[in-house]
Amino acid sequence: MFGVDVGGTFTDVVAIRDGKVEVTKVPSSRIDPAGSVVEGGRRLGVAGSTVFNHASTMGLNAVLERRLPKVAFLTTDGFRDILDRGTIHRPLDAQTDPAWRRTFGDAARPLVPRYLRRGIRERKTAQGHTLFPLDEAQARHELEILGRTGVEGIAICLINAYVDPEHELRLRELVHEVLPGVEVSISSQTSPLAKEYERASTTVIDVIMKLLFSDYAGQLDRDLGGLGFDGQLNFADCAANLLPWQEALERPFRILFAGPAAGTVSSVHLGRVIGRDHILCADVGGTSTDVSIIVDGKPFVQNTFEIEHDLIINALSTEVSSVGAGGGSLVTVSTSGGILVGPGSAGAEPGPACYGRGGTQPTVTDAVLLMGVLDPNGFAGGEFELDAAASEAAFLALDTPVSFEERVRTTYRLAVAHMAEEILNVAVRHGVDIRDFSLMAYGAAGGMLLPAALDLLPLKEVIVPPHPGLFSAIGLLSTDQVYYESESAYVVFGPESIDGVATVFERMEANLRARLGAAAEGLPVRRSFDGRLVGQSWEIPFVQLPEGPISAETLPAIANAFHDAYEARNGNRFDMFPVEGVTYRVEIIVPAEKVEYDLAPEVAPFPAAPEGTLTLRHVAAEPIQAEWFNRDALAAGASITGPAVIRESLSTTYIPPGQDALIGRAGEIIITRGATK
Amino acid sequence: MVQTFPRPNEERLYVERQAVDASCPECGSADVKAYPVLSEGGWWHVEKCQDCLASISRVPAPALGSYVPLGTTVK
Repeated sequence: MFGVDVGGTFTDVVAIRDGKVEVTKVPSSRIDPAGSVVEGGRRLGVAGSTVFNHASTMGLNAVLERRLPKVAFLTTDGFRDILDRGTIHRPLDAQTDPAWRRTFGDAARPLVPRYLRRGIRERKTAQGHTLFPLDEAQARHELEILGRTGVEGIAICLINAYVDPEHELRLRELVHEVLPGVEVSISSQTSPLAKEYERASTTVIDVIMKLLFSDYAGQLDRDLGGLGFDGQLNFADCAANLLPWQEALERPFRILFAGPAAGTVSSVHLGRVIGRDHILCADVGGTSTDVSIIVDGKPFVQNTFEIEHDLIINALSTEVSSVGAGGGSLVTVSTSGGILVGPGSAGAEPGPACYGRGGTQPTVTDAVLLMGVLDPNGFAGGEFELDAAASEAAFLALDTPVSFEERVRTTYRLAVAHMAEEILNVAVRHGVDIRDFSLMAYGAAGGMLLPAALDLLPLKEVIVPPHPGLFSAIGLLSTDQVYYESESAYVVFGPESIDGVATVFERMEANLRARLGAAAEGLPVRRSFDGRLVGQSWEIPFVQLPEGPISAETLPAIANAFHDAYEARNGNRFDMFPVEGVTYRVEIIVPAEKVEYDLAPEVAPFPAAPEGTLTLRHVAAEPIQAEWFNRDALAAGASITGPAVIRESLSTTYIPPGQDALIGRAGEIIITRGATK
Repeated sequence: MVQTFPRPNEERLYVERQAVDASCPECGSADVKAYPVLSEGGWWHVEKCQDCLASISRVPAPALGSYVPLGTTVK
């Protein structure tokens, strides 16, 4: 089994063969993005593998950096600026700033420049009636102009096309006639949901992703085949569910944001193995820490996500919050002379000062190196040596009256405090008691920084999983194939209207089963809807429908399911108000082969044997001695008392004074407050 | 004194578009014209292709368009 996580800097490749994990890191290439993935497959021997699961930030980075193919946008005449106005929400800090502009608006960095956005004379009503027929002559004229500008793709989103796609389907035929070879996405197939802005932005992203990924995926499939791979190539979507690559390319907006969700599903899978179902997940990267939450063994999935402020995509995605604090976060000085950490980052190039690649500003990694936690000779699997003198010089160069010791200590504490604050924010937003939750700390710097969060937050424990630096890539081998269909229709549930809702569900289920064929046989369909109380303008997503038929007889149970979901989310319920359905969804989960954790037999805790001792500086007023351990040599049941450092080839775990660690049965490190705390 | 304003004779308000000797880099059309437009951020002097509407040049114009407040002209 192969899991590949393509990042902006490195491509992480994990192969699991006979329960043994093999890893390699290949530099990502912008010129030949598939090349780094194929190289990873070649290094670890992809021949004979059953699955090759792939997540990539290539599309996301292209959108964020606006390295985009030339695409046009066709919509109903009079609506071509919907991409510019978004939902009209302004961020709080821009409420009084007259110069604030949307990042994707024409005054900034539009996804589609205004001259490539064209109005087409047509109009369907919200009931699906034709108010104005499609003006084919005008449409052809606009397409001919777009043809002369050399567009590579066209996104089509006509008003109310989610109710009746007739005009969109005809317009797509016209594009094929007038501009053969140009990629097209239409909103009624990409995301047939209400709310034209979200539908339009999703359709634009979809056609961009088609252009970015179609050659890429084909090349990947061919080249991996050339290496002897004859298994299934899957792409991960925004909730880290797997899709066969041909299926993913039918609606590729779903694979835009795959990486961060993979760590969350990895946590779900490991949590199931070790008996934890309330987990806060924190992925500490170089620039940021991504935080997500798992309640009752399920990640929190949302029905839309924002790439940038108000740039919304209609995709099922795992909710992930980010804070600008990570291993590479820069240390700066405030105007009053205090120490600040983040949100700026040294990135991979030049990287922290200790990398010796030209970075002169101190970072969190420099602070942890000066504390003595990091091994200067064994960093990143011994790939390069860290230069402690450069770290020291960078901290000394800060223009602040704060003492050198305090600069280092404060950097470490502030980085942990920023992460802890975001973790607490996520818990509070979801209304959960943090004392019931374990914190899964991963990313190469997760174990190094997050155990200290136990001193700031009343968490139950901190768990550092096996291979924390590759935990997200392992997540791609911890998930299933999930197929879904969704449709929108505003229907107030009542005895006379509920049959229409039943018809929508029957149609979607039939479509989904037809798409999957034999693979769906015997598998249950999960049905849900996004609904609201009549008069509201926002929806409660993912209200699960009860089993059985949808009819006037079962209507009370359906309404009750909505009111239960409403109460769970908002804390109150209004049974007297009718329920209005907005979006309906069916889902089939096809189980996929997953990574298996070998559970060691349960043993009584015993003291672990240290490899040696080291001196920790800047942790307390005076240097303190700590034991250090080799993680590969620690068996289940081994217990460690902090302060201590646990080293492995691609990561380091630091257990602060007053904390205890125990190696769990799956190889995880479970860190708790010591008996005296 | 009663100040009277005559009713406009034109059906619509419009600005004169000056022909520009250039070809559009996007679609190759030779129909390029220069004129002011009011857009996000205020007035702009633009040179636009009249076929595909691509902006070939776009520079900020006075914030109030053709209206020049007297105070700004007093030295």
